[in-house]
Amino acid sequence: MTIAPSGGDRRLGRWGVISRRHRAAAVPDETFEALVFDWDGTAVPDRQADADAVRDRIEALCAAGVHAFVVSGTHVENIDGQLKARPQGPGRLYLCCNRGSEVFEVTGKGPALVARRTASTEEDRALDRAVEGTVERLQARGLDTKVVSQRLNRRKIDLIPLLAWADPKKAEIALLAEAVTARLASAGIADLAEVVALADDAARAGGLVDPRITSDVKHVEIGLTDKSDSARFAASWLAERGVTGRLVLIVGDELGPIGGVPGSDSLMLVDTLARATVVSVGIEPGGVPDPVVHLGGGPARFIELLDSQLARRAARRVPQVDPDPTWVVALPSARTKERVAEALGTLGNGFAATRGNREEDGPGTSLLFLVSGVYTDDNHLLPGPTWTGLELPNGHRRSTERRLLDLHTGTLVRSGNEGTGLRSLRFVSAASPHAMALRAEALLPRLEAGDPLQQPGNTVDFEREDRGEVRMARTGRTGGEIAVAATDRVGTVAGLRVVERLAAWFACAGEESFDQAERRLLEVDAMGFDALLAEHRQAWARRWADAEVVIDGDPEAELAARFAVFHLLSAAAETGEAAVGARGLTGDAYAGHVFWDADVFALPALAAIRPAAARAMLEYRVRRLPAARAAALSLGLQGARFPWESAGDGSDATPRQVRGRHGEIIPIATGPHEEHIVADVAWAAARYVAWTGDAAFLAGAGRDLLVETARYWASRITTDAEGHGHLFGVEGPDEYHEVVDDNAYTNVMARWNLSRGAKLLAKTDPGSEEARRWLALADGLVDAWSPERGLYEQFTGYFDLEPLLMSEVAPPPLAVDVLLGAERVAGSQLIKQADVLMLHHLVPDEVVAGSLGSCLAFYEPRTAHGSSLSPAISASLLARSGQPERALELFKMAARLDLDDLTGTTAGGVHLATMGGVWQALAYGFLGLRAEGSQTGRGTLVVDPCLPTKWSALGLTFRFRGQPIGVRADHDRVGITCEAPFLVRVADRAPQRCNPPGATFALTPPRRGRRQR
Amino acid sequence: MSIVLAALDTAAAARPVLETALRIGQLTGADVEAVHVSRGRLESIETPELLAARSKVPFRLLEDPVEPALLAALAAPEVLAGVIGARATPGGRRPVGRTARYILEHANKPIVITPPDAIVPSSFRRILVPLEGTEASSRPVLERLRPLLVADVELVVLHVFTDATLPAMLDRPEYDLEIWGREFLTRHLPHATHIELRPGPVAKQVAEVSGEHGVDLVVLSWSQDSSAGRAHVVWEVLGTSSVPVLLLPVTPVEIEDPVKGSSP
Repeated sequence: MTIAPSGGDRRLGRWGVISRRHRAAAVPDETFEALVFDWDGTAVPDRQADADAVRDRIEALCAAGVHAFVVSGTHVENIDGQLKARPQGPGRLYLCCNRGSEVFEVTGKGPALVARRTASTEEDRALDRAVEGTVERLQARGLDTKVVSQRLNRRKIDLIPLLAWADPKKAEIALLAEAVTARLASAGIADLAEVVALADDAARAGGLVDPRITSDVKHVEIGLTDKSDSARFAASWLAERGVTGRLVLIVGDELGPIGGVPGSDSLMLVDTLARATVVSVGIEPGGVPDPVVHLGGGPARFIELLDSQLARRAARRVPQVDPDPTWVVALPSARTKERVAEALGTLGNGFAATRGNREEDGPGTSLLFLVSGVYTDDNHLLPGPTWTGLELPNGHRRSTERRLLDLHTGTLVRSGNEGTGLRSLRFVSAASPHAMALRAEALLPRLEAGDPLQQPGNTVDFEREDRGEVRMARTGRTGGEIAVAATDRVGTVAGLRVVERLAAWFACAGEESFDQAERRLLEVDAMGFDALLAEHRQAWARRWADAEVVIDGDPEAELAARFAVFHLLSAAAETGEAAVGARGLTGDAYAGHVFWDADVFALPALAAIRPAAARAMLEYRVRRLPAARAAALSLGLQGARFPWESAGDGSDATPRQVRGRHGEIIPIATGPHEEHIVADVAWAAARYVAWTGDAAFLAGAGRDLLVETARYWASRITTDAEGHGHLFGVEGPDEYHEVVDDNAYTNVMARWNLSRGAKLLAKTDPGSEEARRWLALADGLVDAWSPERGLYEQFTGYFDLEPLLMSEVAPPPLAVDVLLGAERVAGSQLIKQADVLMLHHLVPDEVVAGSLGSCLAFYEPRTAHGSSLSPAISASLLARSGQPERALELFKMAARLDLDDLTGTTAGGVHLATMGGVWQALAYGFLGLRAEGSQTGRGTLVVDPCLPTKWSALGLTFRFRGQPIGVRADHDRVGITCEAPFLVRVADRAPQRCNPPGATFALTPPRRGRRQR
Repeated sequence: MSIVLAALDTAAAARPVLETALRIGQLTGADVEAVHVSRGRLESIETPELLAARSKVPFRLLEDPVEPALLAALAAPEVLAGVIGARATPGGRRPVGRTARYILEHANKPIVITPPDAIVPSSFRRILVPLEGTEASSRPVLERLRPLLVADVELVVLHVFTDATLPAMLDRPEYDLEIWGREFLTRHLPHATHIELRPGPVAKQVAEVSGEHGVDLVVLSWSQDSSAGRAHVVWEVLGTSSVPVLLLPVTPVEIEDPVKGSSP
């Protein structure tokens, strides 16, 4: 029996009530990536039986990439001596032996120990006392028992030490149970449960804190570990490879109760394998708990299971995903939401991405394959050949389908079509950046491969070439070019047509693109679909290890936040340069142009959850410094002037005008006037350094970014007769008010930029005259702080505008300029998005201390949130100012922005800035994270949480100064995990050293809506 | 062969009605027939009969009373649509006269209402389709208008923002409105070539856009229920439009299942 340890039944958990039904069930018709199974009674009838059949199949499954874990109470010699498997990989074989105390990996060379729990001397003594105490207690009741063995970390007592029952077979389990029960009854002991309770009592009395008491009916064992430890090892190992939940098959023969106690195999049903498929091949006289599938049939049935898995692999059946509701997003199925679904379901690896279209969608839909940084001559992202097309003749019934985006493994799966039985799974490899793959299956004759490569939309330049079974196509000609090579394997099995497609892309200019694409495809083909998928899952598991989001108490917010992080992680590569457009690679909206969305919204999140990607984003800016310098020079200024909209060559790609409703020309002011982008780029570089401590970047390319942008501001500022500096004719983040003077945001950011640039100059040249001049300019630059009002004036004359509030107009979010007209809004104090408040978000040390509250109180009611960039920032600031409930409202607006298509434009691509803002709201707002102290030396991480009531806890993982950190806060405490010592400051405490593996800090007083900074 | 029925009275407004019917016939590939209802009193039918003869259009005299006679004529299976004058004179107090209103509320065929002062071009090249962004308003157009049209014609959609469809956010209007509009068209009328997005009021924008784009015909779907919410929009458009307006009747089933609220 399993005694519930203090803290609740961690084993039975959700497995719940025992079902007495005896069900005859079929072998599961799914492909599993891992098997976790009991040995004696499950895989073999007994420990003397021949295991050749099992061995052959386990070796074959490992060769096919399946991982296998044998979970047994006996020692490795027994199991390996019987199994004798010598797998060659890529799937791994582990023997989890000695009742959870040891793990061996088995390779071609045999078993090698990988983990062992070793009892301390005191624990050994406690085990001895436990078994002595148990024997005494049983003897006192009149039951003679025998201590059978003292094994590693446990002691075993024979409850029926009679010759007749010296070595009972598994098939005799029911008879054995009867005999034991009768023997117990004769001693006045009700059942095995009472024996186990008695043993637990003795164990605790003997000094064991967490005794593991189990019974196989004949014996009771008292130990430090049990099969649940083996299962947890397997779960943890598999999770690191992205194999979780339904991808795992657990098989045992004693999953149900025997003799009144849960079967020993039920210990494998741990919480970290909660959604695994579980089958029993045993007799199970007491039934099985839901949702265990009772197959029966013993080891012969187990062989059938293995055979069915091998057959599925051989037939290239479509793999499954774990439909964990906390990790999968169901794409909208309504006809009118088709293009929204495509954007939401985009799969990317930072280099390239494919929209989540249905396989049968052709020209005329928004089918799109894009490669980052590849533009057309007119500065739009070049569409590449699409590779996901399949032919689905008659009988297709979309209305019954489900399409799921599995965030955990970066796969898109389709199933449930009652007309055709169509299932498909596709991915764009996160591990092999040029590889893409899909598998599909449907009832014959409802599926054909068709032409694997199609011309995207109205692309003029499209060329094909076939080389045997390799089909190739490319788009583009001068400038950018994208080539895709693909090959199909088509098969038939049991009335199903199965199509497997492998594809590889290559982007360059020049004739060799077909050769390169073909070469890459051959590499991809050599790996094969299953191996590609396995490494892709593992790559995503590694990504999530540094980017986890847990929100206890609010599953909807948690899933939406994970969705946001998913697309952030998919948007930027880790090498070279990453041109992250406003919609990433999820659509053609905004032509793939790069805005401050990348620098201020997406990059701060990536600097924490994927630092190399943030560095690549900065590399994009670094490589466009020459163009930025030229732009400044063209205006008669110095330094670097980055453009508002940037594409391939770094020149200004901002449209200059648009036609009004009456055909009149309306100039667009952002390009010439929205210059805060210059400081935003510098800020992004500084933020990256603050989180990563990348001294080399700060000394090299980062220095150039910070100094050249400062140099621009120095030449841009106009100094009046009184010596005050001004920035005339600029546009701030609030675009309802175009072309203003002394926009507070622009000015304060410029001031910050000048100071940082001066500091860097002075580092290498302490007497730098230029640095001195920059500091003087920074000092003299007006920042529009009004001490009388306790506010920053957004720009000169703002306070004189019509004092309109959103509450007098309509509830935000709203494009209020459309409702009231641009002119009316420009004459009012209504603003599109956070402008002054962006300063409190980005450079809180640059603004007047304590001014957040007054600025929030003034500007938030005037904010229309008419920009997707807005709500998340306000959420962050409201949380920081101790208003977590209001913060949560805006957080949810941001988090659901694309999932609910709030803007009506998600069809053109998801809003990456919003997604970055969502992560920032969690990190900087609700968790109150900040980096303090030395930029490149030993920084301090500040944690100052303020959670809404609905959230019982918030946890994030990320990287800080090169190491993985976990922070989990509830309303009373903060828990931090780390791998190396670092300094942390929690709330108002002094900084203190946090040593690995971590520490917990109490929040006094507990946090429910306090704190203002 | 399908027929477009032109209901002519004796007023000067009969000419644009007949001309409109001829253009609708060109668009739909249907023949045109002119009808006039004799009121049983002394009146000259010379005008309607002469108009028909000059245009080589068959002419038929119907017996009073007017509204039932016209309804019965429109109900004939070969009749594709009817064309009727909005009112006798441009300066009429009501947007449409009693007869036109009655026909609109009771005929289950598309009816074109022609303003008395409409200047009808030699062919209809551009049709304006105001859509409110619900399936109830767009489905009839998609299912009934498109199949009717055999000639090449440009469809221009007008969407006047409602409370439900007013964009919540426009990051960069120069991009976002184009994306928004493109998505609107894809969802509601993929064959349209162009969309105009305007803030209200609807009738005013219909008139403005009609003028700006040289629109020849406006198409509206409606429930035929004058008490229903959108009916006032229909009357306003009819009262202010300078071009003919085609009304597509929407069945109750279509109204019951609108897609609400989700923009576009």
